[in-house]
Amino acid sequence: MFTQIITFLIFFAIIGCILYGRKLIKNEKVDAVFGNPERAKGGTHWIIVGSSFILLVWLYYSWDIAKAFYPKSANELCQVGKVNDSLLSLKYLFPIEERQFKSTFVIKSENKNINKLAKEIKNSPDIRNQDKDKLLDFIEKTKKTIPLLTNEKLIENNTIVKIKELTNKITWLTEDFQKIGYPPIKSIEEENKRIEAIKKQGGWGASGTAVENTVEIPTIPETKKGLKFDAAAKELKIISDEFFKLRNHNPEYKKAIKNLKDDIKKYRSGLDDTHEIASALAKDVLKIARRIEYASIFPPKTLNEMQKSIIEFDNVQKKEQGNLRLVDIFLFPAGTIVSSGPNCSEQGSGRWLPKPSDTFDKFVLLLKPSVGFKNIPLIWYEMMDVSKIIGFIIPDWIADIVPGQYPVHSSDGTVKPNFKSKVLKVATGEFKLFKIPIPMGHIWDSFLRVFLGLVIGIILGVPLGLFMGLNRFAKGFFDPLIELYRPVPPLAWAPLIISVLGIDNVGKVFLLFMVSFSIMIISARAGASGTQLSKIHASHSLGASRWQILRYVIFPNSLPEILTGVRVAIGMCWGTLVAAEFLAGTTGIGFVENVAKKYFQYEVIWITIFVMGMLGLLFDVTLRKIIDKTIPWRGKG
Amino acid sequence: MKKIISFILGTIVALNLSMSVANSAANEVRVAFFLEWPTPNQEDKVKKMFDKALGVPVKWTNFSNGGAMTDAMLAGDIDISYSQGLVPFINAVKSKAPLKLVDIAMEYGMGGTTCVTSNASGITKANASELEGKKVAVPLGTMAEYVFDESMKVVGADRSKMNVIQMDPEEGAAALVGGDVVMACLFGGNSIKAATAVGTRLLTVQEARDAGILGIDITSVTDKFMKENPGMLRTFIEVTHEANARYAAGKSDMNVIAKDAEMKLGDMKETIGGFKFLTPAETKTSMESGNLDGFLKGMGTPSGAVDTSFLPL
Repeated sequence: MFTQIITFLIFFAIIGCILYGRKLIKNEKVDAVFGNPERAKGGTHWIIVGSSFILLVWLYYSWDIAKAFYPKSANELCQVGKVNDSLLSLKYLFPIEERQFKSTFVIKSENKNINKLAKEIKNSPDIRNQDKDKLLDFIEKTKKTIPLLTNEKLIENNTIVKIKELTNKITWLTEDFQKIGYPPIKSIEEENKRIEAIKKQGGWGASGTAVENTVEIPTIPETKKGLKFDAAAKELKIISDEFFKLRNHNPEYKKAIKNLKDDIKKYRSGLDDTHEIASALAKDVLKIARRIEYASIFPPKTLNEMQKSIIEFDNVQKKEQGNLRLVDIFLFPAGTIVSSGPNCSEQGSGRWLPKPSDTFDKFVLLLKPSVGFKNIPLIWYEMMDVSKIIGFIIPDWIADIVPGQYPVHSSDGTVKPNFKSKVLKVATGEFKLFKIPIPMGHIWDSFLRVFLGLVIGIILGVPLGLFMGLNRFAKGFFDPLIELYRPVPPLAWAPLIISVLGIDNVGKVFLLFMVSFSIMIISARAGASGTQLSKIHASHSLGASRWQILRYVIFPNSLPEILTGVRVAIGMCWGTLVAAEFLAGTTGIGFVENVAKKYFQYEVIWITIFVMGMLGLLFDVTLRKIIDKTIPWRGKG
Repeated sequence: MKKIISFILGTIVALNLSMSVANSAANEVRVAFFLEWPTPNQEDKVKKMFDKALGVPVKWTNFSNGGAMTDAMLAGDIDISYSQGLVPFINAVKSKAPLKLVDIAMEYGMGGTTCVTSNASGITKANASELEGKKVAVPLGTMAEYVFDESMKVVGADRSKMNVIQMDPEEGAAALVGGDVVMACLFGGNSIKAATAVGTRLLTVQEARDAGILGIDITSVTDKFMKENPGMLRTFIEVTHEANARYAAGKSDMNVIAKDAEMKLGDMKETIGGFKFLTPAETKTSMESGNLDGFLKGMGTPSGAVDTSFLPL
């Protein structure tokens, strides 16, 4: 219901906004010429069109629209899939979806293999001539078994009758299938049982009650049409199985293949260990013979009737699908529902692109702090004692330099704390103050890593960049170093990180720092060296000191460049973070995605992608606001 | 405006069609396998016996874990996965991937997949509950995770109290060496060798066997390939079982296998020695009522994922 409304809203939004936009173009009086940035201002309606369009594509290709408007279609298509599944093996034999008969293909390729093997035997230097003759004789005999299978005169009457029978069965099924009364009504008990089972099997789509994957498509037929296809599929399966048990092994062929097998066996047992190659080649010949034996090869015209009946049935079942076929074509783009064994599944874009409604349900579920992912919430808070922060700030060695000894346990088994041990307690934070809530969870951890990497990069990178832009020594000294490491993709360091810095946050933050550091240096340096000389001269002549020039002229002038650098660095940091969290970890968005991938939880994968996109956007929007507030002179120098 | 609309419509039509283009007639068979995981049929692989037996070229691609094999099979790039771990297969089937289990590649004890605790931590089987609250590296969603779960039950440690870190075996070994984790669960000869250099197995191979911890690797196949080329699949499994029989008779060329598995001969022999290759009859029993069946049921696998009709009985 919700998805339906959304779909309509999106349609109206897109059409309305496009109409509004066109009207605006006609009525608006703009004196800005082409190239004036004023022309790019405004345009909220186009933002609506853009985001609506993305959502529409998502709804469409994840088959959520199909689910909203035709909730029963998946169940019906599952039954159609069962029919196709039963027909598949038979279809492959005929040039229905192929270019040639399967038997034609088998004979062609086996002839090729026979010739290849014959050539190999002839050219082999390691076998005696008598073996060669023998082996070539085997090959000749193998070759001769093929015509025994394809000869119309040799095929047994039994086999022909059986094929006729199966063909008739398909034809009858085709006729029955079109009747309204098909399938015949079963006993009331069975019908009740089915209705009971339908109630239990649930609906289409991932359920929002568990993070793990659950039933996606109900398999028991729910509608009249579904029942029809389900029944036909069962009959077809029996027919198909019977056909594949059938072999065109007439007495002559049986005799020939038995002789060949016996001959080869005798020949091989007659060889001793010195003639291994000949023995192996004989075995290869036998393999080809057995492949021909196993393939369903029939004389060319024998299966014509059967092919016709299958094509006929296929056409009828397509016709019987009625408007379901239209739903399948238009609302299940890039794939459809496929049946395999007892299950039905979405194959195509619906498989890896989860439905917005399912994704939303699962996101709500993951957001619950009691569920989370791998027992850690996405984002929540925990109570932490302030003493921990104090313990983190005060270094532990302070206790070591306090005079005296750490207490030793006494003979009555107690430990008496002294001043030194009390200092240690404070330094390690093992005391109680009051508790404050602090954020925690996957999203917070990822956010913190990016934030730390970025801030450290800015704090170290910007001064160094400015210094390099202003000082010959700094430029010369640091340039080779920076330029050597800058072009290396940050992920190239990743394999080393675990060995050198371990698997904790230090390694990940370090990787992110490497990213932001080089970007900040480059932008600060470009900003510093890009300051207009006239401004520096002006401030000089007004008597400014070096510090004042740096503070009031060069720094403000390079700020636009620096802040653009920060924006670039944020993007790069997010990119690197996911890969860094793929490496090793217990928390973070990248970790969630990596683990979800291993369990094929496509909804969770998409949730992580959206969360990252949203966080990136949040960072960027915040920064844009900061830029607008702090440097209104940008672009006007 | 018209141009934009026609472009969008064109794109939609193209996208819809692109997925429905079917390619069929198998002109080659694409098989996935593992390195550092020696099997007798690698001799046949090197000597091109599969190509001969199947009558079409066989393309072998190596993978680093079973999950990636599933991904490749779903994308239509792989037809048969040989020696895929059972756990990745079960995960795939649970998410309704159209795959079938048609053969057991091998059963193995903890020789090939094991948990190693670092010597520095001083944790052994006796005081394994000390693992609680510490960091352990586990490649989630693989056979190693199963071995980890089972081992923890044996030694009486609570998994939920540990800090389980998702790490692939090579990284897990590196983290164990670096002292970042106190225990790493891993598979693959070289990774286990690196880990045991600084640590010891939590359970010995024999202890694990006694506790009933058993790894099973399987042969899985896409539904499509199975329906399309049942003969080829049958032949593939047959050649594999022939190779296993040859190995059992002591006639395999170990040097070829070692080279193909990219291992040293000694390491290879040790690894392959821990594998148990089943005969077709044993395989059928295991698939229908034995170890494999029990494993699948224990993990809550949907029924209908196993097909014994391709075994060369």
